[in-house]
Amino acid sequence: MAELDDDSDAPILSVQAGSDGAGQPLIRIAGDLDISSVDALREAVGAATAAAPEHITFDLSELRFMDSAGISVLLGAARDVPGVTLLKPTPPVKRVIELTGLTDVLEVRS
Amino acid sequence: MSERWRPSGAAVAALLVGLLVTAALAVTSLVLYHHNERRLLNLRVREVGLVLSGASASVQTPLASAAALADATGGDPARFKAFLAPLVGTGRQFASVSLWTPGASRPLAVVGAAPSPAARAAVARSAGAPGSLEILNMLGAKHPSLGFEYRQAGPGRRYVVYSENPLPANRRSRLESNSAFADLGYVLYLGRSRHARDLLLTSERTLPVHGPTASEVVPFGAGAFTLVVTPREPLGGGFFHALPWITAAFGVLLALAAAAMTDRLTRRRRRAEGLAARLDELAAENRRRYIEQRSIAHTLQQALLPATLPQLAGLRVRAQYVPAQSGGDIGGDWYDVVAVGRRQALLVIGDVSGHGVDAATTMALIRHATLAYIAQDHRPGVVLGKLSRFVTGITRDYFATVLCALVDIDGHTLTLASAGHLPPLLLDGERGDYVKLTAEPPIGFPHGESFREATVSVPPGATLVAFTDGLVERRGEILDEGLERLREMACREHLDDDLLARLASELTSDDHRDDTALVSIQWQS
Repeated sequence: MAELDDDSDAPILSVQAGSDGAGQPLIRIAGDLDISSVDALREAVGAATAAAPEHITFDLSELRFMDSAGISVLLGAARDVPGVTLLKPTPPVKRVIELTGLTDVLEVRS
Repeated sequence: MSERWRPSGAAVAALLVGLLVTAALAVTSLVLYHHNERRLLNLRVREVGLVLSGASASVQTPLASAAALADATGGDPARFKAFLAPLVGTGRQFASVSLWTPGASRPLAVVGAAPSPAARAAVARSAGAPGSLEILNMLGAKHPSLGFEYRQAGPGRRYVVYSENPLPANRRSRLESNSAFADLGYVLYLGRSRHARDLLLTSERTLPVHGPTASEVVPFGAGAFTLVVTPREPLGGGFFHALPWITAAFGVLLALAAAAMTDRLTRRRRRAEGLAARLDELAAENRRRYIEQRSIAHTLQQALLPATLPQLAGLRVRAQYVPAQSGGDIGGDWYDVVAVGRRQALLVIGDVSGHGVDAATTMALIRHATLAYIAQDHRPGVVLGKLSRFVTGITRDYFATVLCALVDIDGHTLTLASAGHLPPLLLDGERGDYVKLTAEPPIGFPHGESFREATVSVPPGATLVAFTDGLVERRGEILDEGLERLREMACREHLDDDLLARLASELTSDDHRDDTALVSIQWQS
């Protein structure tokens, strides 16, 4: 859980790091992910990729908003880890992923 | 504190109020005390008067009894003496008692000391009312004494009994200390006035009495005494005497304590106010620095963007940059329009992820690298491919979305490649459509040789509007909604020099966190 902005309409981003059934890291991101809250995700991804996993999954089912700052963290993970899966992105997030050309390099699973 | 201590105004006021209240209370209690003492003194003088008046019976009764006895015994001296002997002598009630017949110059019988010559004259002269106790005034005699005379009433009654008690020369006679009236001083006068010559007895050393007095005329037999009393100690008790002073002392202490407390509170408040003022100053200073920093950031940003845009014949190029509203950081958005030969231009617009000096530095690097690659090869897909390899090599921390579009003025075509960037909008009169473009991953992510290109034809007079995501991204909505908002507004608005500024001010929210760049390219034919 990270609250990184003191504005009244501050995004509240929740980042929970766990692992999937195969023991690979699974990061669940909920709330709003933008330039003011991205550091929490960056830290979680840094911690997860430090162990050089084969695969990393991001559960985006409760992520309401993501901007280019979030994209860059996902791309960073995709560059460092052989397989990256984006799980159940919500429509707004899915559209950002498509428009940013990430579907070429990241696996998106509904 | 080197400053000399000075009490605060509020503390002085508290002290003054405290002292005033104290003075009022003390004076009130003093007035009440005196009033009470006066009342008690008046009560006491009446009390003493009653006791004194009651004593007349103890004088009259033995004298009247002796007279009756004399009458019954025919003036037998022996019986007379035997009856009175127990009452006469030193330490007893009378110093001398004698039996007379009216008008006689010598007594029939005497018990105790012989009557004084003055007494003889007085008795012979006396014509007191029969059946009552007369007081004989012999204060002016050589040996002043107090005499009582009882003359029988009724026809055939022939005897007069006379008693006498000498008075002390200075008339001083102290009350016994265990008396009920030990708290009083007294002056007793014979008669109904207070003349010095009538002074009978007193407890006082000097006369007249100093201090408060109360007096009463006390009937005694056929005569009277005048009694004057004065308190020797507070009649209401020592506590009430001391109360005004206790009140004053406590009041002064309380006033001082209140003043000290007020002074402390005032000082604290002043300190707090000083602190608040200092905080205000700091806040103002912070604001000033923040504005300054933003201004520096803005200046730096402007320096990282092209100072001028090429204006080729038949092409109108405009650009607008809007810094992020929150935070004084430099953003990572940039744009360039480069003339390629005389009839072509290459538009580049991009957005480096993140913000701050590092992002801006990376942006500057990418921007200049792009310009260099354009000089080598102006195909958008190739430029982006080279750029991607370059950026992947120099940084792992930043990605950039970049749109590269080759504008052919005469051919009315656009050749575009996108590295994760939003598609540009093509305006044709009332119509507006986003250019259909498959985006490839942003710059910074490993990529193949070159990026896919798309070529579209452009109607005469059409306008291309390229922008960065700050213009259309809003929390809580799908990106398409922002894109649609931009499309609608751009179609509605008049295509003039201020279009980009209007779009920017309308579409970015008041507290947008991301910076925004817009470029428009208009075919003039």
